[in-house]
Amino acid sequence: MNLARAPHAPAAQPLPVQAGLAAAVRQLRGVKILFPFVVLIAIWWTIQATGNFADRVLVSPERVFDTMVLLISHGVLAEYISTSLTMIGIATVVSILFGVPIGFAVGANRYAARSLEGFLRFLQGVSGIAWLPLIIIWFGFTHTTTLAVVIYTLIVPIIFNTMVGARAIPEHYALALRSLGAGRLRLITDVYLPGALPSIVVGLRLGMGYGWRALIAAEMLVRQGGLGDLIFGARTSGQIDRIIGGMIVIGTLYVLIDRLLVQPIENLTVARWGVLRK
Amino acid sequence: MSVQAPTANNTTHSARRALDRLTWMLVPAAPFLIVLLIWVMATGILHPSKETLPPVTDVIASIHELAVSGQLATNVMASLYRLLLGSVLGIVTGVIGGFIVGLNRKMAETLNPVVVFFNALSGIVWLPLMITWLGIGTALAVFLIWNTVFFIVFQNAALGVQLVPEVYEQGVRALGGGRWQTLRSVTLPGALPYILTGIRTGLGFGWRALIAAELVGAASGLGTMIFDAAEYHRSDIIVAGCLIIGTIAVAMDRWLLLPIERRTVQRWGLVADAEKER
Amino acid sequence: MTQTRAAMPLVRRRLWATPDGRRFITGAVLLVVILFGQSVYGMATASGRLDPSLRNATGPSNVIVVLDFMPDRFHNERVAEYGTFAGRDGALNRLRLRYVSPDNLRALSNVAWIARIEPFK
Repeated sequence: MNLARAPHAPAAQPLPVQAGLAAAVRQLRGVKILFPFVVLIAIWWTIQATGNFADRVLVSPERVFDTMVLLISHGVLAEYISTSLTMIGIATVVSILFGVPIGFAVGANRYAARSLEGFLRFLQGVSGIAWLPLIIIWFGFTHTTTLAVVIYTLIVPIIFNTMVGARAIPEHYALALRSLGAGRLRLITDVYLPGALPSIVVGLRLGMGYGWRALIAAEMLVRQGGLGDLIFGARTSGQIDRIIGGMIVIGTLYVLIDRLLVQPIENLTVARWGVLRK
Repeated sequence: MSVQAPTANNTTHSARRALDRLTWMLVPAAPFLIVLLIWVMATGILHPSKETLPPVTDVIASIHELAVSGQLATNVMASLYRLLLGSVLGIVTGVIGGFIVGLNRKMAETLNPVVVFFNALSGIVWLPLMITWLGIGTALAVFLIWNTVFFIVFQNAALGVQLVPEVYEQGVRALGGGRWQTLRSVTLPGALPYILTGIRTGLGFGWRALIAAELVGAASGLGTMIFDAAEYHRSDIIVAGCLIIGTIAVAMDRWLLLPIERRTVQRWGLVADAEKER
Repeated sequence: MTQTRAAMPLVRRRLWATPDGRRFITGAVLLVVILFGQSVYGMATASGRLDPSLRNATGPSNVIVVLDFMPDRFHNERVAEYGTFAGRDGALNRLRLRYVSPDNLRALSNVAWIARIEPFK
C-alpha cells in the first residue's frame, strides 16, 4: 500500500466503482486473516469427531465455545481477564517509569553501560519464574509476587533498549542544542528522549511479550486469579474445555494488545522520530 | 629538544591505554560486586531469617555441597539433556518449516495469522493442556522447549530465505542448476546467518522455558531442584539454583553459541553483507 | 488525496488519519469494552435486579441473592464479600446474606451475573 511509489497514479477523487471495490478488498482482507483459523478449527473438529477421546482429553470446538459463553455470562472470564490485564498494565507502567531513567542514567557513561549490559544479560538468563519460589517466600501468594516477577521480566529489555537508544544518538545533536543555549531539561526532552524513543518502544514491545508469558506462568503458581490461574486450575478438575478456551483467550488478548496497541505506537514513534535512527 | 621526552610520553600513554583496557574488561563485574556488597550488608545489618535472605556463605556452602554430592551434576545434566532434545527438534522443524514458508509467498501470507497467534501462545501457556495429554515428565519439558525454539527458528529461517536476493538464485538456475542445487548452494548459505541468530535466540528462550516447565513438576533438573528446595524452605538452595541457571545461560550463549554464529557468518559473510543492502 | 497524505510522514497528522492511529483507537476501544463492558451492563440493568421492597433500605438488610445458574466457589466467595453468608435458601443457587449495608446492597445490584436480589423474611 505504498501510494508514494506510484508517481503517475491519479490524484482525483475515487469513483463510486473504485470506492466500492476498495471496500470489498478491505473486507476480503478480514476474511483472509480468518481463513487459516477456520481451517484449523475444521481440522480440530474432525479429529475430535472421529477419534474416541474421553471428555477430559479433547472436546469439540462447540463445547469450548459454549463453555466460554458460560464463563462470560457468569462473570468469571471478565474478572480473570481484568486481573491479568491490570497486572500487565501496572507492570508496564512501573517498568517504564523506572526503566527509562535508569537506562538513560547508565547509558550516559560508556563504562557504566558496558558493566550493566553483562549484568542485565545474566538477569535475563535467570528468568523471573526461577526466582518465583524465593519471591513467594518474601511476599506470599499475593498479587505483589506476580507483579514482582512481571516487572523483573519487563524492565530488563526496557533498560537495555533505553541504554542502546541513548548511546546511539549522535553527539552533535546535543552539542548543537547546547551551543544554542539549551538547558539540561531541554536537552532531555528535545534530543535524548525523542532520539532514544524508537529503541525504547521496541524494548517495550519485546518486554511486553516476555512479560505477558511470565505473567501467565506466575499466575499458574500463585493462583490468585488471572488467566494463568484459570487454565491451571481447570487442569486439576480436568476441564479441558476451559483450558483450551482459556488458551485461546490468552493468545487472542496478546495479539490484540500487541497488534492494535503496542505496534501502532511503535510505528507512529518511528515515523515521527525515526529519522534520528539513521 | 629532548629525545627523552617523546619516550616518556609514550610510556605513560601506553600505560594509560593498558589501564583503560583493563578497566574495560573488568567493568562488567562491577554490578555483581555491588549486589554482593548489598547482600552482605543486608544480612549483617538487618539480620533476616535464613529463609528470607540466606547469607552468602550459606549459598556458597550449598553449591559446594550439591557439587560434591553429585546432585548438581545430575540435575544440570537432566536439564541440559531436555534442552538438547527439544532444541534439536525445534531447530530441525523450524528450518524445514521456514524454508517451506520462505520459498512460497502464497503460503507465507496464508499462514501468517496462525503463526502470529501461536507465537503469542508459545511456551508455558501450553503447560496445563500438555500435562493432561503428556503427563509430567521429560515429554512435557521437551514439548515446551520444542514449542519455544520452533517458533523463533521458524520465523528467522523464513525471513532469511525470503531475504536471499533473487538474483543469486536466478543466476544458478540460468547456469543450469536444479532446484536442490539452488537450495543447497544459494538459499541455505544465504539464510544461514538468520537461522543461526534464530538458534542462538531460541536456545536462550528454550533454557528459560525449561526452568519454568520444571518448576511445575518433573523428576529431576535444576527447576525441580529449586522447587523442592522451596518446599523445605531451603532458600540457600533456591538462590544457588538461580545463580547456576543464570551462569549456564550466559556461558552457553557467550562461549558456545556466539562463536558458532560468528564463525559461520564470517564464512558466508559475503551473502549476509549483500543482503543487508536490501 | 491519500497520496499527498502518505508523502508527508514527518508532519503531525491527526491520530485517526493514519492507519496505525485508527488501529490504536480500535485497540483502545476494545480494551475499554473488555475491561468495563460487563460492569457497565450490570449497572445499566441494576434496577431490574433489586426487589422493590429493598430499594430504599436505610439500614442493614437480610437478602437472598438468586443466581440463574449453579454457583462455583468463585461466585460464593464474591457474594460473601458483601455481607454475612448464612447458608442457602432451599436451592443451591439461592444464597442467604445477612447484614448487608445499603452501600453493599447497591454494589450487589450492579453485579451483572446476579439474577435477582430478594428480601429475606
